[in-house]
Amino acid sequence: MLNKDKQVDEGGEESASSVLLPEWSYDIYDDIIKQHSEAEASESEKNPLIGDKEPLSVLEAEYQSSCPVWVKKIKFLKQKFAAIRRARGDGNCFYRCFMFSYLEHILETRDKPEVDRIKANVEESRRTLMGLGYADFTFEDIFELFLEQLECVLQGTDSISHEELVRKCRCPSHSNSVVMFLRFVTAGEMRKRSEFFEPFVMGLASSNVEQFCRSSVLPMAEESDHVHIIALSSALGVPIRVVYLDRSTSDNDGATVNHHDFVPSSGDSSASSSSSSSEVTEPFMVLLYRPGHYDILYPK
Amino acid sequence: MQTSRARLFKEYKAVQREKGADPDIQLVCDDSNIFKWTALIKGPSETPFEGGVFQLVFAIPEQYPLQPPQVRFLTKIFHPNVHFKTGEICLDILKNAWSPAWTLQSVCRAIIALMAHPEPDSPLNCDSGNLLRSGDIRGYQSMARMYTRLAAMPKKG
Repeated sequence: MLNKDKQVDEGGEESASSVLLPEWSYDIYDDIIKQHSEAEASESEKNPLIGDKEPLSVLEAEYQSSCPVWVKKIKFLKQKFAAIRRARGDGNCFYRCFMFSYLEHILETRDKPEVDRIKANVEESRRTLMGLGYADFTFEDIFELFLEQLECVLQGTDSISHEELVRKCRCPSHSNSVVMFLRFVTAGEMRKRSEFFEPFVMGLASSNVEQFCRSSVLPMAEESDHVHIIALSSALGVPIRVVYLDRSTSDNDGATVNHHDFVPSSGDSSASSSSSSSEVTEPFMVLLYRPGHYDILYPK
Repeated sequence: MQTSRARLFKEYKAVQREKGADPDIQLVCDDSNIFKWTALIKGPSETPFEGGVFQLVFAIPEQYPLQPPQVRFLTKIFHPNVHFKTGEICLDILKNAWSPAWTLQSVCRAIIALMAHPEPDSPLNCDSGNLLRSGDIRGYQSMARMYTRLAAMPKKG
């Protein structure tokens, strides 16, 4: 009661003087944005959105003193893999790795049939989002941007070199737009097949797929999990191998490393994830998972 | 900058095209600056804000739509999630839950939903939040209604 009286007093005074608030200055926001972009500049020096290719021995050296299990496992990895390319740990690392790894693959292979294939999937995804009621202007620009980028890497040498691709994927506005494109595609796939994805998201913070997409797929910097990988892999029809570097040890020597292949099925509605079988070709995209983070791995 | 301008222009066209489709929201773009918008929203019915018209003001950052718009109430409102003095709004989609799938129009709808469903556990207006948290619904409603009358309704006479 006391509290309420106090509030009336305060409020009365306030409303008498100014019912409408004076228009405040936006300078505060400009300052915040400026600070933010300065921080971003220094961060991108040390820790770019997409790093350079580094030999796996660099990773081995990092864990030399702290984690013998991992050192063993990295030694094992070195038999099959040559290098790692890091993505910044900003919650977008899975998408960022997917983006770079895919575009780099196209740049190197100039695989026109593959580009035609993924374009059809992108078009399908566009129709899905329209059908779900997303306003077209919320995603059409970033879809366009991805298709342009794809065309660029397919055309090859003159229009885009490898350095140019790295530069683009490090440029925040460009890179984040492509990440956003992948987030839209992921959300569209999950909502289109919500009965399939429902069991994955139940019991997490969300009660249904739509809510999950709103809180854990579409917002930038929301981290990705198994379920996001399944959705993106099947939406775009791109198989992904994830190699798990964790502390688990097996019975024999503790030095084997598990992997899991996310293989999109050709059928529209059937399950999309399976362990690698002999008839399937190995995914060209290989990601290294360390708890909470993804980077790109390069086979020998 | 170009991206945000292009996107805002598309939103502007959509707002013109769908004028009156949502009678509770009237979004207006500044004549000379597409990064500044205002909106008039109607207080939702069966809430203490019913009958009131509230003005919102938007400042759109250059990185829009990768970054959320800054939105504040210009009209004074007594609500747990709105700062009593500055009009700042505490709403997840305006912060870390933002995504470009939201539009200025759907942000207005989310704010109307927030008016009807306050979240007293993350208050910007502690007095308002405390009333709700202590179960004094009547106290909250009468305060909120009083400010709606004082600030958000046309003066009579």
